[in-house]
Amino acid sequence: MVFSIAYHYLRDRSAAEEVAQDVFLQLHRSFDDFKPGPDRDAHLVHWLRKVASHRSIDATRKRRTQPATGLGVALDDAPPPSVPAESKDFLLQQRLETLIGSLPEKPRMVMVLRYQEDLMPEEIASLLDMPVRTVKSHLQRSLAMLREKIDRSMGEIR
Amino acid sequence: MMDDFEKQIQQALQRKDPSPFFEARVLATVRRDAQARRARWRMWWASAVAASLLIVTGSAWQYQKIEHERIAGEQAKARLELALKITSVKLQKISHKVEQIEN
Repeated sequence: MVFSIAYHYLRDRSAAEEVAQDVFLQLHRSFDDFKPGPDRDAHLVHWLRKVASHRSIDATRKRRTQPATGLGVALDDAPPPSVPAESKDFLLQQRLETLIGSLPEKPRMVMVLRYQEDLMPEEIASLLDMPVRTVKSHLQRSLAMLREKIDRSMGEIR
Repeated sequence: MMDDFEKQIQQALQRKDPSPFFEARVLATVRRDAQARRARWRMWWASAVAASLLIVTGSAWQYQKIEHERIAGEQAKARLELALKITSVKLQKISHKVEQIEN
């Protein structure tokens, strides 16, 4: 979950592993704060999602100030050999991943949390410290943009 | 309810696993961090103990110095009192002799 949030957000395997490692290190340091009880697991998952989201956003900001090598993205973009490149679904999913990766910071994280973690707008709002209507608006706008771009690019493929 | 397009997004964003050595790397980092924190904690304790010892030794030295000065002062006072007493006795004797001569 932690690695995956960072990976889909950053689209760079090594950067995502670095973020995930930082999150687990922080968890180890503050593990005593999680009091045993019936809500402990839920609290832990919420905490992990929240820290992973914020750390990923911070990592993008930090990366913007450093020259990018682009290696991680290039390796991850290579299609796995078992999947045929002609597969329309595969192409669509590759295109979707790229398009989601090109969204601005906050809408991108909203999309990752909504569709990877299957969270409701209220939960996303609490994780990202933003109003629920902002989350809903990010979702609507991102979906509309993705639909439009996908329709256009699939039309080109056809 | 999610439509087909949203389901495609969900497919595109399905969870991915980190590299096989990720877990070992995280555990090693956590272990290293714990050791560094313990070392920092020990250093802090050693500094605190050293500072406490310095304060105690300094206070004891200061107390000894004050006590030494107090005893020296008391001895000087006793000597002065004795000297005054001797002087007073001698003055009395002289005064007595003067009175005898006058009478």
